[in-house]
Amino acid sequence: MRALYERYSPRVYAVVRRIAADDDLAQDYAQEAWIRAIRALPTFRGEARFSTWIHRIAVNSALQAVRKAEIRAQKEAPLPESLAVAPPPGDALLSQRLEWALDRLPERMRKVLILHDVEGYTHDEIGELLGTTAGTSKSQLFKARGKMRVLLKDLDSSENPGSEDDGKEMEAWSI
Amino acid sequence: MEHLTHETLARLVDERPSPDEREHLKACNRCAEEFRALRLQSDALGGLAALRPPSGDWETLEARLVGEGLIRTPETFRRFGFAAAPAWMQAAAAIVVFLGGTGFGLALTKGATADGLSPDRRLLSGEQISSVEDAVRAVEYSEQAYMQALMLYRQLMGGGDGPRFSDPLSRVTALEGLLAASQEAVRLAPTDPVFNGFLVNVLAERQEVLRQISSNRDDDWF
Repeated sequence: MRALYERYSPRVYAVVRRIAADDDLAQDYAQEAWIRAIRALPTFRGEARFSTWIHRIAVNSALQAVRKAEIRAQKEAPLPESLAVAPPPGDALLSQRLEWALDRLPERMRKVLILHDVEGYTHDEIGELLGTTAGTSKSQLFKARGKMRVLLKDLDSSENPGSEDDGKEMEAWSI
Repeated sequence: MEHLTHETLARLVDERPSPDEREHLKACNRCAEEFRALRLQSDALGGLAALRPPSGDWETLEARLVGEGLIRTPETFRRFGFAAAPAWMQAAAAIVVFLGGTGFGLALTKGATADGLSPDRRLLSGEQISSVEDAVRAVEYSEQAYMQALMLYRQLMGGGDGPRFSDPLSRVTALEGLLAASQEAVRLAPTDPVFNGFLVNVLAERQEVLRQISSNRDDDWF
């Protein structure tokens, strides 16, 4: 069982952490997802990849837990403590900024953005997971991307005060 | 000039622009730059790495799983030196042991019945149990049979003079056999999470070996 855990826990933890936007809650939710998955193992017969199967359980588990708890009302969370699994050199700062901004998105937007842009779900799948329509998912996604862009620009301004005063356009690669 | 909204630009990351939007993007550097940043933002989100769970997470989870009876303690494997063996080998060992009681593993366990350790199969079948003492003896015998099968399996899978599966093709052939065995185990005990876990381990290992074989073939193309 540990071999399974070692192989798949980073992906499970990542999606749960991003949905929960909280390290402590993420650990609880991820463990709950594992327990659910192990209980549900008799229903797994290898038709789908195990990674896909457990990922879906983790997403459902986290979404349910978040819904129940109604957590997080625009709190000022510190930078996430979670460690990325071998982030590419040079991308660590970018990843940290993205995780920081994800944590600050309103809950509905965050869920859709994570499921679509990070996890690659379609709008139909997201609609099914969140109990809404594909159209609403799209609309939330576009709002989320825009909001995230603003958060990252604000972060950049606060880290580099005066950069906007110079009238220089921020380099796109810095996001 | 009225700029495109962030929402509009965010939509254009996935959808084609209208002629007006296309013209605007050509003419407006600021919107073009924002659009490029949004596209990079989405790409970067798609490339976010998985996250390592906090240290001690497995130990906490394992304690919960053992507490809920979803897994068995790994102490047995540790005692007999199986902790260092690959997970799929541990899984296979347990499957063989499990099937030992159903016929498949009899051929394996047949040779390991010397030294007074041979299990009394009548006791194991429960036919001769009529007292607490008999039940205790049956448990002891079954434990001995379990350990014998584990040791024998270890020999067969690479210890001592047993066969080794160092090349991917031999490995995948062996895994096919283990897959059939584990599927049979799950068929016999469909709700047993341990055997289902073994089946998943074997499937995952086979998937990995097949991927290795496939990537080796790609390399050979040159």
